[in-house]
Amino acid sequence: MSMEMSDTKSARPVTPVTIASVRGLKVHFQSKAGRVHAVDGVDFDVRDGETLGLVGETGCGKSVTGRAFLRLLPVPPGILAGGSVMFRPQTTCPDCQGDGCERCDDSGRRPAPCPKCRGQGCTTCDQTGIESLDLLTISDARMRDIRGDRIAMIFQDPSKALNPTLTIGEQLGEVFLQHRHADLLAAAGIAEDQPGWQASALRRLASQQDRGTDRLLVKLSGAMRRKHRAIRQALDERIAAALSETQIPNPQRVMQSFPHELSGGMRQRVMIAQALACDPDLIIADEPTTALDVTVQARILDLVRQLQTSRGSSVIYISHDLSVVRHICDRVAVMYAGRVVEIGDVEQLFTNPRHPYTQGLLAAVPTTRTPRGQLAAIPGSVPELIDPGPSCRFADRCAKAHGPCASHDPALQPVSAGHDVACFLEHPITTASRARA
Amino acid sequence: MTDASSPLRRPSLPRETALRVRMRRSGELAVKILSNPTTIFGFVIILLMLSMALFAPWLTTPNAPDPYQMPRDWGALRMPPGTPNHPLGTTNTGGDVLYGIIWGSRTSLQLSIIVVSVTVVIGTAIGSIAGMVGGKIDEILMRIVDVFLSIPELIFALAIAAILGPSFTNIILSLCLVFWVKYARIMRAQIILVKQNDYVDAARIMGDSRLNIYFRDILPNAATPVIVQATLDMGAIVLIGATLSFIGLAESGIAEWGVLVSEGQAGIASGRWWASTFPGLMIFLWALAFNLVGDGLRDALDPRTEGR
Amino acid sequence: MQLRDYIIRRLIVLPILLLGVSIIVFSLTRIAGSPVGVYLSHEMSAAEVLQIEQRFNLDKPLPVQYFYWLKGVFQGDFGWSGVASAPVADVFPAKFAATMELSITSAIVAVALGLWLGTYAGVRRNKMPDHITRIVAVSAASLPLFWFGILLLIVFWANLGWFPVGRSTNDIWESIAHPTGFYIIDSILAGSLTALLDALWHLVLPSITLGFGGVAIIARMMRSSLIEELQQDYVDAARAKGLPERLVLKRHAKRNALVPTVTVIGLTIAFLMQGAIAAEIIFRWPGLGRWMADAVVRGDQATIMTYVLFTSVLFLLANLVVDIIYAKLDPRVRLGD
Repeated sequence: MSMEMSDTKSARPVTPVTIASVRGLKVHFQSKAGRVHAVDGVDFDVRDGETLGLVGETGCGKSVTGRAFLRLLPVPPGILAGGSVMFRPQTTCPDCQGDGCERCDDSGRRPAPCPKCRGQGCTTCDQTGIESLDLLTISDARMRDIRGDRIAMIFQDPSKALNPTLTIGEQLGEVFLQHRHADLLAAAGIAEDQPGWQASALRRLASQQDRGTDRLLVKLSGAMRRKHRAIRQALDERIAAALSETQIPNPQRVMQSFPHELSGGMRQRVMIAQALACDPDLIIADEPTTALDVTVQARILDLVRQLQTSRGSSVIYISHDLSVVRHICDRVAVMYAGRVVEIGDVEQLFTNPRHPYTQGLLAAVPTTRTPRGQLAAIPGSVPELIDPGPSCRFADRCAKAHGPCASHDPALQPVSAGHDVACFLEHPITTASRARA
Repeated sequence: MTDASSPLRRPSLPRETALRVRMRRSGELAVKILSNPTTIFGFVIILLMLSMALFAPWLTTPNAPDPYQMPRDWGALRMPPGTPNHPLGTTNTGGDVLYGIIWGSRTSLQLSIIVVSVTVVIGTAIGSIAGMVGGKIDEILMRIVDVFLSIPELIFALAIAAILGPSFTNIILSLCLVFWVKYARIMRAQIILVKQNDYVDAARIMGDSRLNIYFRDILPNAATPVIVQATLDMGAIVLIGATLSFIGLAESGIAEWGVLVSEGQAGIASGRWWASTFPGLMIFLWALAFNLVGDGLRDALDPRTEGR
Repeated sequence: MQLRDYIIRRLIVLPILLLGVSIIVFSLTRIAGSPVGVYLSHEMSAAEVLQIEQRFNLDKPLPVQYFYWLKGVFQGDFGWSGVASAPVADVFPAKFAATMELSITSAIVAVALGLWLGTYAGVRRNKMPDHITRIVAVSAASLPLFWFGILLLIVFWANLGWFPVGRSTNDIWESIAHPTGFYIIDSILAGSLTALLDALWHLVLPSITLGFGGVAIIARMMRSSLIEELQQDYVDAARAKGLPERLVLKRHAKRNALVPTVTVIGLTIAFLMQGAIAAEIIFRWPGLGRWMADAVVRGDQATIMTYVLFTSVLFLLANLVVDIIYAKLDPRVRLGD
């Protein structure tokens, strides 16, 4: 990992194609005291190949927003109260087979065509010809196809997100078996439509749909055992390759290990390998370095950055650490109390923050120039989000709060190109803000 | 109590506040415990049982000379429930089932209170010594505990009671000899856990004596699981004691639920179901009540287990 | 640590514990007085008594007596059972087979039903089946086993006459050979369907009685640990991989929930051994438990000692098996104690 790479951010210019867009997302939680509006009308886009930072304090709804992409919310008590999360899956570019050409902007990947009109443009895809899925409403089966394959997640604490009773190889293997069983079968010389009960049994085994009898068959028949071994071998090769991509030394040994036998940094590398296994279009990284030692953090960050750039995946990077976000992200969305209050390019937002909350957050980050004993803090604490009324959520803590702040809800509106803010200091009350209340 | 020469050591003001905090907390705890309907149900049963034991001499005419012996009505053998003077029927030997149930609640109360208090004291003491002193003494005590735990507790108690000779007193004695082990183990584990807390180190640095640290900082924080276990055991011990007397370790003719079930057993082939059924129901309700309260207590004291 | 090393280490501790148990058992019987009484009658003179004492080494100091007793145990001499009017070692095998047959059946019922019920309730947390399971589990834990058995007898034997008591129907028992002493196995070996059905028919009520408490303990533990597992990050991580719910549950939640449940299964084994005494009395099952109950009432020391020693061996072995399963399920256990 060279220093230039992490400093230059994306090697490839960010194309303004959006891969995912969140509109009016609302996630509520039913508690004894009332309905907690954990996420309450969040809007943002994720552009293809970019890293979008999602920052805010604990409990601002950033993790819940991230989890909504994979529909990994506990329902109940969670309630998907409204909005949409549109996602445009990518496929290998049909013109260059992934080698990179002009039509796919050298990325080797292009948006999947709308299945209804095969890319011709129809009412379903709004004449764009591109497949677009609402992740909140698609079927469970379709969701499962997307999870781990097109959208993957890196969890905060790798020691909790890895199952302590299974080896690393077994856990990583699950991803390939779930989404790449066709490749594994092909590698073992079994055609997708090969007839016969032996082939069916092996297909079931490779796709984790085996019945008790299938394992018995493999034990009994020598021919099947050989085929099955070939599948296992193809699987092991892929696991080892995925592990070595995250710079894990000696992947053969790590595969046999249990999570508790690895260091924290190694475990997170395994999580990253697992997330990147199927070349996802979008990676949700939920504070992936918070649980790690500071020395390991930097290396993990560089690794994520490097792998993402080389593959052209998009990343939603959830963090409360502004310095990390500045280092790694292309754009940043600042969340407060279930809302996005400011979103913009990282440089713009950090050099010219417009929302008082963002300003407060940035002032609270100590730098080498901060005099001793002068750490800034935002007064007050995050409001309880039980059945909130129509007002700016930050009004109680805001030094610049004035008339409309207590009675109206501000909406995100542009202040400059690629920089939106939801604050009455920047915008007068509009019909949009009233409508939201 | 406050040492004037060193104001840092145990200032009196924070202690009073701590006491007040503790009182407020126990109020909150009581509310929390009683917010669970099944716990209330358990409490109600326990209260009913206790008042039955308390008012036994007024509810029935005590048998002279020993009220804990079943009275015999030789004119009303094997009578079904609803017989005049014998609302729950009589046994093969003319014992009134209702009398047995009422005075049996006293027997059960004696059994459980004696056994639980003796074993909690012994177990806590031994577990505390092992946990506080550590080293060789801990090693020896825990090996003894391991040996005791190698014999299933009911079988152990059965063997002891059998060798001491069948009597209700010996049942109590044998249960005392067996049950302390559990508390010793819980207490030791708790103490080792609590000892790791920083406030214990802080007290040590401030020069508190070990005994002081134990009584003020460790014991109160280690006691919770023992309290929960003791509550559950109030029920479990009656269950085991009744099993022992059912097997035949108590004197026959004593007003004890297990003995009554055992005596009633002979009649079921001839359709006399009542002599076993009612006393057994009492054992069940007694154990159920303490189980419900014990579970409620655990949920309230350890929120992690809530709703399980 | 390798699983093998773990097992070896546990096996080393086993005889030490058993030695401790034997010392306790021995001292207990001596507290009650010299066992010489078994061999005495009223007409004997003091000289004759002394002669008998010398013959059985009862005149020696206690540690020496213990040594002779232990030596006898290793040679298969467990003493004379007054209840059975025969050497303990002669009566033991047949009774052991009867008890094991009942206990194993009950254990299978308890484990299978307990795990199923616990999973069923845990997955449907706070819904109707869950509430019912919880109520049944708490009730079952409070249920006196002997009373439950009697209730079953009142309903299904005395009133309905559906199930018998005892271990067998006499004619059928005598019609086949009994090489193992396990009625089910013997009837299969003899190829007699009648005998097999007879064996099973007699097993129904006692094994329900004995297994019921175990079902409750296991179901309760399985439920609570499954609920805890389902809240773990790695369960969500498994979902995030795209695994179907069936696999998430089976491979990630249920497997891990089994770890704490397995330790409770160890407790259930003690529960079964203890319960067997009452169950055998109620159902007139000719096993060790009923023998022990008779011995207890009549102060038959040799039988009591053998029984306690023997149940401890079984109990410790069962716990060893449980710990091995535990270590196999959870690799973290092997790291150390």
